Amino acid sequence: MPTVTINQKSLTVPEGTTIIQAAEQLNIEIPRYCYHPGLSIAGSCRMCLVEIEKMPKLQPACNTRVTDGMVVTTQSPKVKEAVSGVLEFLLINHPLDCPVCDQAGECYLQEYYMKFGLHDSRMNENKIKRHKAEVIGPHVILDTERCVLCSRCVRFVREVSRSHEIGIFNRGGQSEIRLLPDQVLDNNYSGNVVDICPVGALTDRDFRFQCRVWYLSKADSVCNGCSRGCNITVEANRQRAHHGEGRRVMRLKPRFNKEVNRWWICDIGRYGYKFIDDPSRLIQPLEKQGDELEPLDWSTAAERAVGRIREAKQRGGAGSIVIVASPQLTNEDLFVTRKFFGVDLGIDQIDFRIPDKNTLSDDDFLLRADRNPNTRGAEAILLDGGGFDLQRIIESASTQSFGLLYLCEQDLVKKLGSEPARRFLGQFDYVIYQGSNENETSGLANLVLPAATYAEVNGTFTNFEGRVQRIHAGIEPLGDSLPAWRVICKLAQTAGFDYGYESAAEVFVELAQTVTEFEGLSYEKIGSEGMKLPETQPVPA
Amino acid sequence: MISDRLLAEFDSIVRNYPVRRSALIPILLTTQEHLGYLSDESIAAIARYLNLPAIDVYEVVTFYSMLRRHPVGKHHIQVCTNISCLLLGGEEIFERVSKRLGIKEGETTSDGQFSLAEVECLGACCNAPAMQVNYTYYNDLTAEKVDQILQALQKPEER
Ligand code: SF4
Ligand code: SF4
Ligand code: FES
Ligand code: FES
Repeated sequence: MPTVTINQKSLTVPEGTTIIQAAEQLNIEIPRYCYHPGLSIAGSCRMCLVEIEKMPKLQPACNTRVTDGMVVTTQSPKVKEAVSGVLEFLLINHPLDCPVCDQAGECYLQEYYMKFGLHDSRMNENKIKRHKAEVIGPHVILDTERCVLCSRCVRFVREVSRSHEIGIFNRGGQSEIRLLPDQVLDNNYSGNVVDICPVGALTDRDFRFQCRVWYLSKADSVCNGCSRGCNITVEANRQRAHHGEGRRVMRLKPRFNKEVNRWWICDIGRYGYKFIDDPSRLIQPLEKQGDELEPLDWSTAAERAVGRIREAKQRGGAGSIVIVASPQLTNEDLFVTRKFFGVDLGIDQIDFRIPDKNTLSDDDFLLRADRNPNTRGAEAILLDGGGFDLQRIIESASTQSFGLLYLCEQDLVKKLGSEPARRFLGQFDYVIYQGSNENETSGLANLVLPAATYAEVNGTFTNFEGRVQRIHAGIEPLGDSLPAWRVICKLAQTAGFDYGYESAAEVFVELAQTVTEFEGLSYEKIGSEGMKLPETQPVPA
Repeated sequence: MISDRLLAEFDSIVRNYPVRRSALIPILLTTQEHLGYLSDESIAAIARYLNLPAIDVYEVVTFYSMLRRHPVGKHHIQVCTNISCLLLGGEEIFERVSKRLGIKEGETTSDGQFSLAEVECLGACCNAPAMQVNYTYYNDLTAEKVDQILQALQKPEER
């Protein structure tokens, strides 16, 4: 393995490591435009030039492999002059429209100019005018004047999405990013080109002019869009309430996880956050009075819920109560659900599986047909040993009648269709709906309990591979809504069971002690990258 | 549409290369020779023929100025104004042609007979100023010579 010295610091790296990769390990910043670790090497922008001992010319760090004994400097006057020169060329025709550019604040022209440029403009000629603010697809807008022709977007559509919509047309000073005549950038991964574009040439239509990036706070989370569980940051505006019509969550961005989604997320996930600040959010408990749902306070609501549950149990026994949880809930939510209804109330008719009439499919990359983030967790937590078959009740259209249904975060009308959903709900004397947003199903409930969304809670999801990953609250639960586990704790307390959990972390500790599959896991071990459920050891023959 | 005859030519070009996509530029040139220019339709057909994404073909076509996406006149006049020609009056030659034909750089006469382009060095510096009409070179140009050449080209064709 070769040993390289960069700016007097030495490091031994595996054969084939490039200088830019080695420098990264030493925390030495080498500026780059074309280099992106998720794409092939272009070596075309020349921002990463470094000086290597015994080499007459500067070399691109992204495209030069380390050899044993190599001595590199990134700070010699020669390097500084070259890098500042490259920047000066890139800025020759740049429109400098930072005041109206969404990228400002996270733009690598700004960043590198301040760090490596700081030269005055020497151009007296007029700037070349190009295409501005071209809508090139459902999610992306292109400004060719701002483009530095790094070709990241081109390599992305060639190598990652394999959709081939973008190319560099023409030559030399005339070169620019274009699409095929009459074609649009429309694939389920199109938003990623905005993330990798180092400048403001490709920006997001959804985020356009919504908020300055420096007002955004970021929380590490996991996409709730499907069972892949792509790592994301939820970016919220908590400082400028008047921006974006009061919307709090402004955008989702991918967060690197080598094992799950690498640098990417799909568009379904990326733009799937709108429900969080939607007017349909449930912000207080509601109770059906005649045809209307009327607001009530939490303690009355909890008393009403517990009263109805007790009543149903007294009248028809635990067998007259059905609990339908949801694969949208966190492991912590599901655990407390099982603890209260299953263990403490002795209800064993608990399930979460609702057949979906809308058939969805995997794409050939990240997106999974199962559009829930925690199906695997729900299986592990709710189904161990349970023999209850919810499907049969739904499908049989039995005339059997039940006392009470406690339904979490599932729009049955949407999943089953209106008629089957109504038929199913009709079998229950009383329906309690716990969820974040109003929908047709919640409208049919007798009591509605408002729950927080995934962006407002701490907890964990378990993806389809059994990887347990943490989510962090980026914003407060809206209105009076509560994290689902807290809703259940409230009911439990009203029923005389005081669990005393202060946080999701405390719930997880107990979960890991109780549910076999989670044995040995802790938030510390899960960390920011997640941890797979320990494989069940095969019993030796 | 790519004719069967042209397709047969593609087949024989492809055979010269170990890798299919390497045949791209010769195929583009052949197509342009036969059809006058590279239409979106031709580009799509060539991309399919070579198993290339169409965008890759566009990148090549737009990179080379000698590959054309639009039709040109029957006589494609390319006047050199690069250094040697410039020093010996290349710009005046260009102006002369432009005035006589009544078209500017990149334009085509309304009868579709002539189009005019200003080009870089034609490799004929020793006989500058120079111009090229389709594949024919004209050297050591003077205003009179240009007039004669154009007059000859303008003559109605004998049938
Ligand atoms: S649009 Fe952005 S990513 Fe694409 S080449 Fe230009 S600067 Fe690079
Ligand atoms: S692939 Fe699934 S988890 Fe990943 S971003 Fe898309 S919807 Fe979200
Ligand atoms: S980052 Fe190395 S040449 Fe562009
Ligand atoms: S400069 Fe005109 S032919 Fe070379």
